[in-house]
Amino acid sequence: MARFPSTEWFDDVRKVFNTDESYQGGGGGACNALMGVKIGAHSFLITFEGAECSAAAQVQESDLEAADFILEMAYSDWRDMVENIAQNGRADLHHTLNTLDLGRPEGLSHSAHGDQYREDLFFRYNQTMQYFFDASARVKTQFAE
Amino acid sequence: MTDKNDSKPGPDSVARIDANADMAQPAQPNLKWMGKSHQWGTRVKPGKHGLRLGDLNVGIYGEVPPVWTDQTRAPRGAVARRGVPPLGYAIRDKVDLWADSAADMYEEAIQRRWAPATSVPWDTIAPLPDDVERAICQVCTELSQYANADVESVTHWQAQMAYGYHEIKQFLATVSFDGARHMEVFRKRALCNGGGLGLEGPGEVNRMILESRGGWTEAVLYLFVVRGLFTQTMYRYLERYAHNDAERTIFAHCLEDKARHLTYAIDHLRYAINHQDDQNLILQQLCMIGERVLVRELKDGVLREALAIVFGNGISGAQAGLQIHGRMMADYIKRYLATLKWLGVERRTLFPEELSAYLKVS
Repeated sequence: MARFPSTEWFDDVRKVFNTDESYQGGGGGACNALMGVKIGAHSFLITFEGAECSAAAQVQESDLEAADFILEMAYSDWRDMVENIAQNGRADLHHTLNTLDLGRPEGLSHSAHGDQYREDLFFRYNQTMQYFFDASARVKTQFAE
Repeated sequence: MTDKNDSKPGPDSVARIDANADMAQPAQPNLKWMGKSHQWGTRVKPGKHGLRLGDLNVGIYGEVPPVWTDQTRAPRGAVARRGVPPLGYAIRDKVDLWADSAADMYEEAIQRRWAPATSVPWDTIAPLPDDVERAICQVCTELSQYANADVESVTHWQAQMAYGYHEIKQFLATVSFDGARHMEVFRKRALCNGGGLGLEGPGEVNRMILESRGGWTEAVLYLFVVRGLFTQTMYRYLERYAHNDAERTIFAHCLEDKARHLTYAIDHLRYAINHQDDQNLILQQLCMIGERVLVRELKDGVLREALAIVFGNGISGAQAGLQIHGRMMADYIKRYLATLKWLGVERRTLFPEELSAYLKVS
């Protein structure tokens, strides 16, 4: 059982995501992006290359500057989302990335660089990112707190 | 009366037979065309992600000139045939259409395709209260009109673009297909749950887009930035306030398609600004014109009311829905201004009060 948040947890999610071909159809597919994830004090960089999520690594917060976009929420909000996905098999209507981005005053997605072209990858690959987190429904998760 | 069976072959019919016999003989091949190539021996290898359109830009095949002088449909890198009458292209300057990302975006559009018939879980749509169903059908009616404007505008300009910039033409072919798919999916949503199409939208912005005469760059600004960002923001809110998984899927997929169009737009506009004097000032003037047309269209309350009912889950919640609509408009305007600022287009001058009011409220 992988602990959330950790590199092991993201690696488990990657395995599910990379082996389920259904995530490549229906609006998913090739994706090239470096996604930053900030969960409380923990920072991660997730690499998407073509049809797969090729790497996940825990990094220093300053390393997130390299990300095309950063998804940032408090730990409790991330936990709420991951638990919702586990209960429903995927995010329900109130827990999609888009919903969370719109529903929070500070949003969910932002960047350190302000490059519109790269920030927009969050929208261009929105389904892929959603599928990625939805894949966590099949990962046994132990929460840190 | 002559009996056909009695007639005998005359000299004419013999000649025809001989001629036919000659045509049946294989012509002696001269094979001179086999030596016609500007660059032979090209061996492009597929990479990790397959053999992509952009990978083909090697040697002379990757030379994209600033002006495409050929007026025929000769493919880039092919040997031009002498004496081919010109067919004429209106857009032959690279600065008027180019975006470096077009080849990759073409691949992305194909790889990330979806089909409304099967990708949308239509069986999750249950009967909705009458007011909500009428509102979502009204929204879909207007969105299908937007999508039709996408198709008509893109195909109009596409035919005028020189074939030498084939990546752009190919990417735009996917944009018009996306538009067709959006027309399809919104029509399907309007007709699948006991409702139907509603009132035609005012169409002022559609007209502005379709009647853009200043060139493709102007059309890009109006189609993908002024209108496109508005549509994309609306998709985001409609996904957020979807009443079922089908609607959520529809708007999530449309959002991705629209984001791809916007990527081309900002890539092209940036290229145009960087390669043409005063292009940012021209775009600034065009924005002023476009924003006024948008303000006029927004005075029509039908779409606003329909969205408020969708967001508020009924007429009884429409007041709260109007506040959500206000936030949607504020998000749109913030993103619109941020995009223009990033492009280097200043929008402090004569920005319509009707639009900036949304920012104050939010």
